[in-house]
Amino acid sequence: MKIYHQTGFRYNWNIESFEKGVGDGLIFSPINIDSDKLISFKEKMKQVSFLDPQLYLLNEAKGSLDTYPYFPGNLKPDFSTPDLDNSQDELAKLCVDYQIENDFEYLVIPTRYHADNPTNYFLDSTDFFVDPFCEYLKEIKNSKKVLLSAIIKTVMLTDDEKKNEVLNWITGHQNIDGVYIIFENNFTSKQIKDFDYLLNVLRFIKILKMNQLEVHIGYCNTEALLYSIAMPDSVTIGSYENLRSFGIKRFQDLENAPMRGPNARLYSSFLLQWVDYVYIQAMEKLITNYEDFFDDSEFKPLMFKPDFKWHFAKAEPYKHYFFVFDKQIKQLPELQSDRIFYVKQTIKEALNLFKIIENNVLLDNDSDGSHLSTWFNVINAFEKEI
Amino acid sequence: MITECTSIKEFAQGGQKKVFLAEHPKFGKVVIKKGLIKSFTSLERIKREVKLLDELDSEYYPKQYHFNIDFKTNEFEIVEEYIEGSTLRDNLHIFYNNPSEIFSLLDLLIDGLSLIWDKNVVHRDLKPENIILRPNMKPCIIDLGIARFLDLESLTKTISPVGPCTPIYASSEQLTNNKNSIDLRTDFFALVVIALELYLGQHPFNESGSKYSIMENILRNNYIVENENVNQNKQMSELALKVLHTQPYMRFRNYSLFKEFLKTYL
Repeated sequence: MKIYHQTGFRYNWNIESFEKGVGDGLIFSPINIDSDKLISFKEKMKQVSFLDPQLYLLNEAKGSLDTYPYFPGNLKPDFSTPDLDNSQDELAKLCVDYQIENDFEYLVIPTRYHADNPTNYFLDSTDFFVDPFCEYLKEIKNSKKVLLSAIIKTVMLTDDEKKNEVLNWITGHQNIDGVYIIFENNFTSKQIKDFDYLLNVLRFIKILKMNQLEVHIGYCNTEALLYSIAMPDSVTIGSYENLRSFGIKRFQDLENAPMRGPNARLYSSFLLQWVDYVYIQAMEKLITNYEDFFDDSEFKPLMFKPDFKWHFAKAEPYKHYFFVFDKQIKQLPELQSDRIFYVKQTIKEALNLFKIIENNVLLDNDSDGSHLSTWFNVINAFEKEI
Repeated sequence: MITECTSIKEFAQGGQKKVFLAEHPKFGKVVIKKGLIKSFTSLERIKREVKLLDELDSEYYPKQYHFNIDFKTNEFEIVEEYIEGSTLRDNLHIFYNNPSEIFSLLDLLIDGLSLIWDKNVVHRDLKPENIILRPNMKPCIIDLGIARFLDLESLTKTISPVGPCTPIYASSEQLTNNKNSIDLRTDFFALVVIALELYLGQHPFNESGSKYSIMENILRNNYIVENENVNQNKQMSELALKVLHTQPYMRFRNYSLFKEFLKTYL
């Protein structure tokens, strides 16, 4: 299983980590990376990476999206949905040409985002994106693998009719090799603790794999470890929370919107959790060898210096996470049954470590192990179905 | 063209058309189909079928020699190749309890159907009556009258409770007129129903003693892989398990995967 960097703001952190051997490639984000800049990136890096075209809101010119030739507003000012009727072929051509010019590992067919999926959403997606892209790819005799993007809303996991519709739609396309799938996350907690949701995600991945499609999951947080037991082809690492949990706000041009700065957190592969630095400071005072609960990395010594100023916008905790999580993913056994056993063991060990910590330091439920029992139970439920 | 034909004999009558057998000086034995065009939809269906057969130059389909519409009388006439042989329905005994023969037949049928699937066309009416076995045992697929052309506008009314089909060979998406879910996997379903019927000598969704009709059993996915005369067979059961599902996403995603599966037993 591969691990891609989900890039965004501060994509240079991802590139720096990648150049040190962390991660297998990057998923490029047009709203954050100017098109010319992306063109100038090293070929070797691009050849193992791919582009998320980010046409989720079609004509919302957030960030540098309008520097891309396929951006609809560059085809026609005030481009709107009805314009797709006449421009879908041109849009497909420009988007494919751009991806081919950059020689990415995969070619990605974009998707749109709707808060409430309209009834003709899938038919429109086929007409506006999938068919024009596939026809153009056929015309140019493309030999690269093609991924279809899909945003999976919670209702598509929980409602049978909607689930069947989306699965029949994805698997019905003959000319794709896989999916770049994003599970929309509307949870308020930092970790996903919903048993049904997580089990349904695993089932969803399993069905796509049964259909012999490559499954690349975007916007993963640490639940990527849990998803790994359904044997997807890749998961992601991202820096800020909005790159580890998909929300459409990231693509909306919200001028003067209030900025929310969360507390800085540090990921521990032993605890399977991001721990708020406030608790790390408490642990320092209350637990001997408290630093052993956190992984070693080149960034650790700096972060554990008494004068380190924790801030969510600092690079070190994220670069540390990239390094640690990449290593953790790479340690997963290849065989599904072994992987399941391994992840379950890791969860059990993490729960034991939390017991030790909470003898001295009480954690809130965004820093504790309260997600782990759900994860463990989800694995058991999934294991019964395979 | 028809005026050149001799020895015209009525052959069959069904649906909206009469079928005649005749001799043509150039093409030999031919089939003449005549009928009334009752609606725009039926005209469009006939036109699409004719155009498709015209494009297909394959022994898996009858060749098309002539098509004409008389707009005064609103009648159509088609002249096509007569296929020597008899229907699969008349040859069930050859395949009874014979998985390897069934798999070989399926392999050929997939080769034939792939020609229309590649054109984004779904046959939608596969059944033993619509497959003719030539004397060399190669199948010829006939009657594309209700084929679904996925690239063209659908001709089926969305409000119809059931889509066009022969119900006992129809998949659940046809029976519930779930038009958006119809694709080549709809034909996969019918192929495996036929395969199991050949194997068992009995329709697999028609278990004796069942309180449900065949269509109800299809919608409930209740089928049999053995009966009192034929024992369960691993390859037939596995085939059923891979394809007989109410949801298309549970079947093979494309015909290459279907063929790959068959190959493991051929």
